[in-house]
Amino acid sequence: MKRLFLSSLRPVSLVVVAVMICSVILQVCRFPAWDLLTNIVDGSFASIPACLNTLGWTMPLLISALGVVMSFRCGFFNIGVQGQFYVGSVGAAVVVEALSGAPAWFVIPLTILAGVIAGGVWAAWPWFLRTRYGTDEVITTLMGNFLAGLILLYVTAGPLKDSSGTGSSAVSKPVAQAYRIASSGGVSWTIVAITVAVVGAVWYATNRTAFGVLSQLAGRNPVMTRWQGARVGRLSFVSFVASGCLAGLSGAIELLGANGRLVSGFMPAHGFTAILIALVGGLSVVGAGIASLFFGGLAAASLYLPVVAGLPSAGIDVLNAVIAILITARLSRPAWIPSKRSSVLPNVVPAASVDASIHAKDPS
Amino acid sequence: MIEVLITTLRNGSPLVYVALAGMIAQRCGVWHLGLEGLMIMGACASVIGATLWGSWWAGMALAIPVCMLGGALLWFAIERLKAAPIIAGLGLTGLGLGGTDLCIQAVFGSQGALFSPVGLPRLGEHFGSFGVLSVLTVAMPIVVALSWLVIKRTRFGLKLTACGDHPFAARAVGVSPSRMRLYALATGGVLCALGGTDLALGTLQTFSINMTAGRGFMGFAAVIFGGGDPIGSTLAALFFSAVESIGVAVQISLGSQVSQILLLALPYIATVLGLWISAAIRKQDPASSQASELRDY
Repeated sequence: MKRLFLSSLRPVSLVVVAVMICSVILQVCRFPAWDLLTNIVDGSFASIPACLNTLGWTMPLLISALGVVMSFRCGFFNIGVQGQFYVGSVGAAVVVEALSGAPAWFVIPLTILAGVIAGGVWAAWPWFLRTRYGTDEVITTLMGNFLAGLILLYVTAGPLKDSSGTGSSAVSKPVAQAYRIASSGGVSWTIVAITVAVVGAVWYATNRTAFGVLSQLAGRNPVMTRWQGARVGRLSFVSFVASGCLAGLSGAIELLGANGRLVSGFMPAHGFTAILIALVGGLSVVGAGIASLFFGGLAAASLYLPVVAGLPSAGIDVLNAVIAILITARLSRPAWIPSKRSSVLPNVVPAASVDASIHAKDPS
Repeated sequence: MIEVLITTLRNGSPLVYVALAGMIAQRCGVWHLGLEGLMIMGACASVIGATLWGSWWAGMALAIPVCMLGGALLWFAIERLKAAPIIAGLGLTGLGLGGTDLCIQAVFGSQGALFSPVGLPRLGEHFGSFGVLSVLTVAMPIVVALSWLVIKRTRFGLKLTACGDHPFAARAVGVSPSRMRLYALATGGVLCALGGTDLALGTLQTFSINMTAGRGFMGFAAVIFGGGDPIGSTLAALFFSAVESIGVAVQISLGSQVSQILLLALPYIATVLGLWISAAIRKQDPASSQASELRDY
């Protein structure tokens, strides 16, 4: 319990600092920052419908974030969550369209499976290029995001286009009511069960198996891990593709659940928020679970704010951005504060375990 | 044909400015994923400046310090707070996209687009169909040549490149990589301000939320595709822009959407392929892979 408290101290204090910075920015822009904060709480946690709404936003975000946790722990900067999410939802939409008319118990699992596989495939090619040729996965997954956005545009404007509408917007046909696993609120027992199963599986894999230990070692020092005899290529394949699979799973859930249809460019902040959740959660499963409630609440409030309170939802985007800038900071003693020990050598501050795997990556 | 060339130059010059900013950062060892944010900050600031003071240079005078501050903020996060450059860069992008949205709602109380009464001066009638090109578009080759000169032919450029290639060696001869990165990111801010100004005031004379639409990331792709070289990055940016304008031309003449999506995807596919090929070639060269283990971060 004490360990949990200590490890949560750093992300919580950074988030508090980010909220304070963001409040100052809002106040300077002549928006009542306090009103904004209270309205965020009102829109996310103050009532039972608000809590359900938050939960509906939280669960897909948590599933994607757990994927990010797996890939970041293994030292892979999977920036392509958004793309894997889109491709997963497209894969699910194609299958649900192809199987229309079949009984629901048959269609729904296959659709979700299609989303998982499509997301995994979209993560597999950056993994292949990285391990086979050393192509940096940050760029390939980033480019993959844009390609996935274009695939989504192609599918919604072409094969799956809803021709009954105005005809100008790129929107797919709505999923038949029988195949939906949740209403537009995005909460149902099916989704809760899937989320709980995913959380349990990822927690078990990262904390109770040899794979979890080895993949974290590979993230910190792949050369050493290879010399120890572990198959780093296989470890990274499982981590990276699992990350894509989970993002694809949340894409399928969003299609069959809250959204009910594909819209070109829907939920553009999903991937970025998932990465933030993983980092704020300190790349641990429990931490990500707690952090996802916070970001899910923000996401729920971002729809509530402009409608009910007349305040800009861009304030929440700014808050997310400030958190992103701060969250990976390695807080060490600034150089101008004298250290207690008068040592000639620079004071080496032991970095937290999270930092080791993030900063192990050589960006240039 | 001439029209395609003109749209390529018009849409390409903001991209070239942003790619140059990313190139300078890349050379001193920072992967600049905040380009998108800096670009939209520049676009927003230039339109606000032009609206408030009624002249295009006032817009530029506001955009340049704003973007330099943005670049300095990224430097502070990376070098002083020791944040991961990629996440901090993405955060700067988010700050630019959200912050400009907030800013025009705060200053003008309007959601959506903001029109500027003035735009950048154009070349004018004497140049025929090239007359629509703005001053910044015309200045683009000069800026490219200047940056090539600074990067490739001065001591400063050599120090900058050394800080990216081999920070330990740079430090050993008395160059501070951290300070060079500050210079590079601030210069990058100026270039992003020019790019944003050209985008907002050059053709449309408006600012709208999310108007950069991924151009900053495309500029970053151009840096990678161009191999971190001033000329290479410029050509890559112009190539991406040419592909886009050819796509528009094809769509007008043939009227099919699918081929246009394929053409839009071409820059990203080209970047991945280019990166793949260059990585495959570099893998056979043991010297560079050994040096990479000596890099800091």
